[in-house]
Amino acid sequence: MRDAGIFGAACICGVASGLFGIGGGTLLVPFLALFFAFGQHRAQGTSLIALIPPTGALAFFAYAKAGYISWQTGLLLIPGVFVGGILGGWIAKRLQPQRMREVFAGLMFALGVWQAVAAWAR
Amino acid sequence: MTLIVLLLGLAVGVLVGLLGIGGGVVLVPALVYLLHMDQHLAQGTSLFILLPPVGLGALREYWNQGQVDLRAGILCALGMLLGGYLGGLIAVPLASRHLKGLFGCFLILAAFLLWRKPQAEHRIPVSTGGESARG
Repeated sequence: MRDAGIFGAACICGVASGLFGIGGGTLLVPFLALFFAFGQHRAQGTSLIALIPPTGALAFFAYAKAGYISWQTGLLLIPGVFVGGILGGWIAKRLQPQRMREVFAGLMFALGVWQAVAAWAR
Repeated sequence: MTLIVLLLGLAVGVLVGLLGIGGGVVLVPALVYLLHMDQHLAQGTSLFILLPPVGLGALREYWNQGQVDLRAGILCALGMLLGGYLGGLIAVPLASRHLKGLFGCFLILAAFLLWRKPQAEHRIPVSTGGESARG
């Protein structure tokens, strides 16, 4: 029962992943924590291992078939994201993550409003 | 141009490691606004970047602390693979404008989830390499 629930929640995360071109961890971590009583660290660790296989592959092929991939930009971004991730982890040890999350949530909210308004207010 | 892209990747990576949230969520709006990509192109490129296991380094830290539920992780991977296919099918024929608007709504939702995430955050006194969970 619990397995089926987790699988179902992951399917929803997957739809968001394919629909918005993201990994899906943004939804998966809070889902695991809120609905399946995972501790925060355990939710994040489990999300990370779920993202090791290329879970976006099927969505990726759908976009690729339609020609919606900028290969050059993508290849240039990959090393930066990888190195930046290590750097970010190093900085995180020296900063208050809670505060950073709040600042970033505010930024994301503003970006979201901007993007929705820019798309539809015409 | 090349330099901007390289620096953008670095900046996104830092946020991923720092905040424990997704590269794609940051990357897509950055590609749209900084590189003036179309919404579909930005999302496809983001999915491309997420194909290699960028979170492997961070996972090691969690794994060593026993903070990984392998069974749930495998179930989640399968579910996300299938759901991702469905999401891709929905997104590709959508008008770019509507996709952009929907993405905006999703960002707002994600912002709320991010804000409320640590209800009872028990700090584990081990030198983790950041609370990274991509999304």
